[in-house]
Amino acid sequence: MIIGGKAGQGTNKAGSVAAHLFSEMQRDVFQMNDYPSLIRGGHNFSVVSSSVGPIRSHYLEANLIVALDKRSFETHKNHLAKNGIIVVNSDEVKGSGTGIPITTETKKYSNPMLISGLASIAILAAAVGIPKEELIEIIKKEYKRNLEENIVFSTEIYGIAEKTIGHKFTLKKGTEKKKSLTGNDAIALGAIAGGLDLYFAYPMTPSTSLLHFYANNGKEFGVTAMQPENEIAVANMAIGATFAGARAMVATSGGGFGLMQEAFSLAGMVEAPVLFYLGQRPGPSTGVPTYTEQGELRYALNPGHGEFPRIVASPGSVEESFYLTAEMLGLVWRFQTPGILLTEKHLAETTMSVTLNPERTSWAEPLMHASGEFKRYRDTSDGISPLLFPPSSSVIKWSSYEHDERGFTTEKPEEIAQMHEKRRKKLHSLIEYLKTIRTVNVFGNGKPFIFTFGSTTMSVLEALEYGDISATVIQPVYLEPFPVWELEKYRGKQGIVVEMNSTGQLATILHDKVGVEPKALIQKYDGRPFTPTELASKIKEVT
Amino acid sequence: MADTLATAAENTWCPGCGNFGILNAIKKAISTLEQHGITRDYVIISSGIGCHGKIFDYVNLSGLYSIHGRSMATVQGIKLANPSLKLIDFTGDGDAFGEGISHIIFAAKRNADITVITHDNGTYALTTGQFSPTSSKGFKGPSTPQGNIEEPLNPLTLLMEVGATFVARGYAGKIDHLANLIVKAVEHEGFSFIDVLQPSVVFNDTYKEYNERVEILEKPLGSYEEAVRLAKRREGKLPIGIFYQVSKPVFHHELYGDWNPVENRVSRQERLEKIRRFIEDEL
Repeated sequence: MIIGGKAGQGTNKAGSVAAHLFSEMQRDVFQMNDYPSLIRGGHNFSVVSSSVGPIRSHYLEANLIVALDKRSFETHKNHLAKNGIIVVNSDEVKGSGTGIPITTETKKYSNPMLISGLASIAILAAAVGIPKEELIEIIKKEYKRNLEENIVFSTEIYGIAEKTIGHKFTLKKGTEKKKSLTGNDAIALGAIAGGLDLYFAYPMTPSTSLLHFYANNGKEFGVTAMQPENEIAVANMAIGATFAGARAMVATSGGGFGLMQEAFSLAGMVEAPVLFYLGQRPGPSTGVPTYTEQGELRYALNPGHGEFPRIVASPGSVEESFYLTAEMLGLVWRFQTPGILLTEKHLAETTMSVTLNPERTSWAEPLMHASGEFKRYRDTSDGISPLLFPPSSSVIKWSSYEHDERGFTTEKPEEIAQMHEKRRKKLHSLIEYLKTIRTVNVFGNGKPFIFTFGSTTMSVLEALEYGDISATVIQPVYLEPFPVWELEKYRGKQGIVVEMNSTGQLATILHDKVGVEPKALIQKYDGRPFTPTELASKIKEVT
Repeated sequence: MADTLATAAENTWCPGCGNFGILNAIKKAISTLEQHGITRDYVIISSGIGCHGKIFDYVNLSGLYSIHGRSMATVQGIKLANPSLKLIDFTGDGDAFGEGISHIIFAAKRNADITVITHDNGTYALTTGQFSPTSSKGFKGPSTPQGNIEEPLNPLTLLMEVGATFVARGYAGKIDHLANLIVKAVEHEGFSFIDVLQPSVVFNDTYKEYNERVEILEKPLGSYEEAVRLAKRREGKLPIGIFYQVSKPVFHHELYGDWNPVENRVSRQERLEKIRRFIEDEL
């Protein structure tokens, strides 16, 4: 279904309640919110798609559309699926669709604007034949503020909808009731599972909900959230926190990550295990803040001045976000170097049905100094120096200057070279370790080969299922070090590359690093994620 | 007595540099703090980049040699992770009032429980003497051959205005007085700041001027207004000492009370159990 209205009418909230309602029927859901960068007015909409069994994308072709205002009707009237219905606010739209005077009805209540989104839930409940009593239970759980008004209003609308559209749809019940959560929720929980202690962030879409998550729920898990004055402070405070032995994560988007560059390099030099979350949105610059893109792959692979190892990985689903975040937090600690969790708005803010098993997560446990003289940058065979945290009778010196093994500034040629080699040894150790874990996901075994990454993986998988297309989908989860050992088997092979940017960044990397010949490049760079119908037809065009 | 706070690092400050006075003062202060029960294991240092920053290598204490302007953020991160530690951050006037001015203002604003010592020599000495945020008007350097056309910042009044709860001025030429200021600053609960008048013998040799003008404040100032008035004084005697001190709630305690993130870490099993419950109840 699609719920459309103005910002402030609660369409996103209504979307998530609708998703919850489908979940209650043991169906899987996928909810995508589309909203411009403003607080009141404009046009917001939430697409909630549901199926029995896994669903990895929203479908814009909706069986039920609720247009709370005229603009929503104009925008979405062509998105109506065959046999679908469009319910309009008849105070704004005359002569089309099924009319309900939503504005008139809301005027009886204390906050007409905010309450109007609730109408869509009542309409959905009526349309799929959920009894009024069950609707009231849902309202009690999800719309607690002004509850009495909410119950009266929703039963009123439910009554009108029952008369006008009746129980139009019969939805099959699924077999398993799953939880639905956003990519950012999954990342927040994954980091906690991996050992997070301190979270630092300056608000920036699409990372912001992580800050809210930890501010609201962190205490329960012993996690503290801090909002400093800017992203420069964010990154430097996180580095300081790791010096004291705390597991720290920061999150931002492209612009904020630009401000973190010098700290990223500092983390490489002092060997600080900080996990950076980089949520992509359309750039360059301010770009289109509340939409999605994958234009920062190259940016994520090359941040910070100077040479040092870094770990970059990008999850391909909400579920994978959970495990990968814990794994990345473990990796940055194991190798004492900064890492980047690369996501997009489409993953960060999308709600999806998942089954999470916390026991399967990994845990960040650093190598600790045991005995003998402590040297912070002890030159070991694998380049990894055992750690000590203060307070300690041994002196622990981390330094941004090139340093000797004890952490004192050096300008001696042999020591400069030695430390370069130590950091390079860490890179080799990291690569050897990555060879022992899963770094590339492969789905299916048909032809052609389709390469993609990040949240676009979900779009590709759903498009293949929708279009009944056979293919092998190859998703590098780890992007730096690039898993050539896994991908080399595709050398010289032709493949289709699907990515959400205009220059084909993944295609270029695949070509340069493993010699994949991109036969076709399917791109999208209008801020909107692929829908299965359009992507399926594009894949068919090139095969 | 052996100088256990000394390191093997070769000292590369210019002979006669004011930084030597600050180095001696910090060593004295650490000895006094240890007598007061604050052991050196708990004292963590940081510094920015510039001549002042070299002090990091010359004091045998744990810490993080940060980057230009950011050490004030670094120490706040360390403090938040383990509030049992005492943080001393050495900065230059370029670090604190140029590159990193946002960090010092916000550290003061939130009353972060750290001590910031600014080696205020009024010049960018390590890059050969350009004007700095605290250079006087008319200061001649390689980037201002006709003289600095900007007015200097006043570190003391600026920090008092934004909420610092301990504001002092010291002089690198009065080591015992400075050592005592450092002890009091570290013992102060909340954001403490010492602006240290530091002659740069090569680029801004102010020894003669300071030796004539510096005057030790004999008793605490009566009010915030008096502190501001005295800090603004440009002519005549240059007072050194504690200008302003007030007790206010500190940031980390306001944020998480008696919690200590590294000492009270929640175990893995407990986390997994809580996550399972959270998914079940809240989602």
